[in-house]
Amino acid sequence: MTTPASTPTLRPAQGDASDLAARFPGVVSPDTRPGFSGFTIPADKLVEVATIIRDELGYDLLSSVTGVDYLPENKMEVVYHAYKTTGGPALVFKVQVPRDNPVVASMTPIWKGAEFQEREAWDLLGIKFTGHPDLRRILMWEGFEGHPLRKDWKEAFYEEDAKPFKSRWPDGKHVLAEARNPFSDNLRFPSGFDPEKMTFADPEEALYRSLKKYTFEDADGIQADHIIVNLGPQHPSTHGVFRSAVILDGETVVSLKPVMGYLHRNHDKIGERNTFLQIIPYTDRLDYFCSMTNNHGYVLAVEKLMGIQVAERAEYIRVIMDEITRIQNHLIFFGMLLNDLGAMYTPALYAFEERELILDIFEAAAGSRMMCNYYRFGGVVRDVPAEALQKLRDLVFDRLPGKIDEMERLLTENDVLVSRLKGVGYLSAEDAINTSMTGPMLRASGVPYDIRRADPYSIYDRFDFKVACRPDGDLYARYMVRVDEVRESIKILQQALKQIPEGPTMSVKPQYQVRVPAGEAYGRIESPKGELGYYVISNGKPNPWRYHIRASSFINLTALEMMCKGEKIADFVAILGAIDIVLGELDR
Amino acid sequence: MDFWSNPVKFLDDWLTGVFSGWGMAADAARVLTAFVGILVLITLVMVLDIFLVWLERKIVSRFQDRIGPNRVGPFGLIQPFADIIKLIIKENIYPVGVDKAVFNLAPVLMMMSVLLLWAVLPLTSFLGLDLNVGVLYVIGVGALGTVAIIMAGWSSNNKYALLGSFRQVAVMISYEIPMVAALLIPTIFAGSMGINSIVAAQDTWYIVLAPLAFLLFLVSATAELGRAPFDLTEAESELIAGHHIEYSGMKFGLFYASELLHAFTFGGFIAAFFFGGWRGPWVEAYPALGLFYFIVKATIAYWLFGWIKYTFPRIRIDKMLDLNWKFLVPFAFVLVPFLALMHALLRETSFYALGMFLANIALGWATIEILRRRAHGERAKVEGAVEMHG
Repeated sequence: MTTPASTPTLRPAQGDASDLAARFPGVVSPDTRPGFSGFTIPADKLVEVATIIRDELGYDLLSSVTGVDYLPENKMEVVYHAYKTTGGPALVFKVQVPRDNPVVASMTPIWKGAEFQEREAWDLLGIKFTGHPDLRRILMWEGFEGHPLRKDWKEAFYEEDAKPFKSRWPDGKHVLAEARNPFSDNLRFPSGFDPEKMTFADPEEALYRSLKKYTFEDADGIQADHIIVNLGPQHPSTHGVFRSAVILDGETVVSLKPVMGYLHRNHDKIGERNTFLQIIPYTDRLDYFCSMTNNHGYVLAVEKLMGIQVAERAEYIRVIMDEITRIQNHLIFFGMLLNDLGAMYTPALYAFEERELILDIFEAAAGSRMMCNYYRFGGVVRDVPAEALQKLRDLVFDRLPGKIDEMERLLTENDVLVSRLKGVGYLSAEDAINTSMTGPMLRASGVPYDIRRADPYSIYDRFDFKVACRPDGDLYARYMVRVDEVRESIKILQQALKQIPEGPTMSVKPQYQVRVPAGEAYGRIESPKGELGYYVISNGKPNPWRYHIRASSFINLTALEMMCKGEKIADFVAILGAIDIVLGELDR
Repeated sequence: MDFWSNPVKFLDDWLTGVFSGWGMAADAARVLTAFVGILVLITLVMVLDIFLVWLERKIVSRFQDRIGPNRVGPFGLIQPFADIIKLIIKENIYPVGVDKAVFNLAPVLMMMSVLLLWAVLPLTSFLGLDLNVGVLYVIGVGALGTVAIIMAGWSSNNKYALLGSFRQVAVMISYEIPMVAALLIPTIFAGSMGINSIVAAQDTWYIVLAPLAFLLFLVSATAELGRAPFDLTEAESELIAGHHIEYSGMKFGLFYASELLHAFTFGGFIAAFFFGGWRGPWVEAYPALGLFYFIVKATIAYWLFGWIKYTFPRIRIDKMLDLNWKFLVPFAFVLVPFLALMHALLRETSFYALGMFLANIALGWATIEILRRRAHGERAKVEGAVEMHG
């Protein structure tokens, strides 16, 4: 494990969050709504205050940007969560704008990492960000009418605002929504749009315009263009239906724009329709390799709102599940990265062998291998069987360390691998922080920022482990960070398995309808892919008022263009693979 | 004449006799017999190809810790036939903007370029044309496959296909040079370009006399075949399928089959040039036994290609060209005169084989040592620079 001797990018924390109101008297005011925290900033002072927050208070990592639609108050709110890369809690600041004309200054000049999140807020909530370089729809299609996360937007087959739908059992009998709500009746299209004729303007035009084109004349005076290649949505190396519009100069990438949303299902809206408990199985489907950690982030947020403690044994089980999730995720990562590099499936299948053993543990504990739905508010749904725990002990103490060594012997020093990874896709520490990179991507750029250490949750403060960090910022560093992380995870698991106490796995009585007091909470964990954050607002009803996911797969793509420029098309595939995206989480 | 000493000649004479007996002119009978012979050979080769599909899938599954095809027939042997039926009954798709004539011709030409190689492949002492420019013929026909790839890439009206064929051109131009150099060495040793003569001259296998030439040929043949780690034209994870991305059904099948057959054919050439081809115990007494030895050796070489393919990540195009122009080509230019000189000096001595082998080891060691020194120097330079900046 190498930790850089000096990390010049880390600005010393010169101020504290509490200074903010004192520094701007009369401008910045604390959010006094019960259950809410942070500061409210007037829209016209946002850029000024945000610059101070980044440069003088030292909150250099903008983690989450999201909008909230307060329909009853006729207001739109944009919520920012900023962190220090040296660790510590968040600085939350908010801007409120009128709902009929929501215009907010873009944060992209200060934090480039806001780019995609602001596009998402524009797309789903209709908040305009002035000064944003490329404010287009990001998850919905270009011809889409309306902004679906607004509270007054109603989807096709809309019945009621919140589940459980009473209307489905009018006579005590089940009626299909489709039967009562024919398809064409409640579907709206943009004005002048005929779905039969597809008469709207070329939706891709804005995308291609956003690519930086280079037209030049060659020596004979012939006009020449670079070629645009659309990598995806059907492409073996985009890990699903991800697409990149790329401009190529021969084999070299000149310009690139990621296009996403092919798997978009508006997870946020589904969450707002569901009850708090009903959301848990939906979180499994985000990053479908890591359903355990997805559960964890969500229950963490709701537990914060509810103010309940987690049962001691359940905390250990959670840490154990999180860490074996991390191991199996990184194993898939190694296999898939090698696939992207052209070693078709041989390393991947060896990695899957170990992963299957881990999935056996999941199956024994949760009943499902991938969609675990295992965590509950206050604990986990049921105890891990003793045999599964014993199997896990054998795996963690005897098998996995040797297997990781074996994998490293095969891969780490491989000449072709090293030549493909070393010095490719460089991202400096400054850029990584500025583009809101988290997880292994950030740590591979030499920033030792791991939420398990920087802002500990659950019981991670009890374990002895190192934060994997490599200073090089290239693909090889990203590969090595994951190798180190697997080893550290094994270390945590060994400690947790020795310390795990007996006892109940739930601190509260399990119930179908949990009572969540009004307020907001941001629960974030170090998921295998980066920071996974859940921003939940409750208004005391059975359903959340706002449910937002800060997906690391999504935000880590911000720097994709930066990393790919000037690299070969073969490297693009490897760079994308090293970000480790999962489309379920990316498109939500 | 004894049938077993040269069955092909025997059948040839017999068939010509039959045709002549029907009142055919002697020349016409000879041409017709030749056609029948070609037909039989191609049929047998294509049947072999079908089993290569099975073999390939079994090899890869073993490398990947799986079982491979095992449902259709014993050990899944009938699986390739099921695949072929599926390919044949598939719809014939022409994407928009395809140049139909070229598009259709490309897979045929691709298969042809491989089958033409079998004309000079010395299956046994009596089978396989001992063309006096055999080695040149191999190189020339090899380039024909490249033309087919360019045709496929260009006519498909697809950017991936085009990128794939661009890469193929770069690879072909580069890797033919070390390949020609590697083939020059057996030519010099045997004093002939006829491949059967080269086999006949191998009293000592050339792998002993010129292991470095073998390695050179192996690398450049892998590149020429477009197999991993040099599968840049197909580059599944980057260009999806490269030149044959738009092909479906049996047209794709032809590309796939010709790739496997091409690899096997080159396995055959490795056997012929460096492993004594059809030579083996008792082959003088029973020449037909040579076919068995040849197939075994070719299959082992084929397995070697598979081993390389399924264990290596892909090399990037610029690194691949670097490897060729900065290492393989200069190395080949040293190797050819060096081995020719050693051959001339040691040919008459009693320690010919040992001397040649040691000479190869010495040259290989010197090369590695030079590379190592250079790399250390580079590294010191880079790390020194880093330290100065740091």
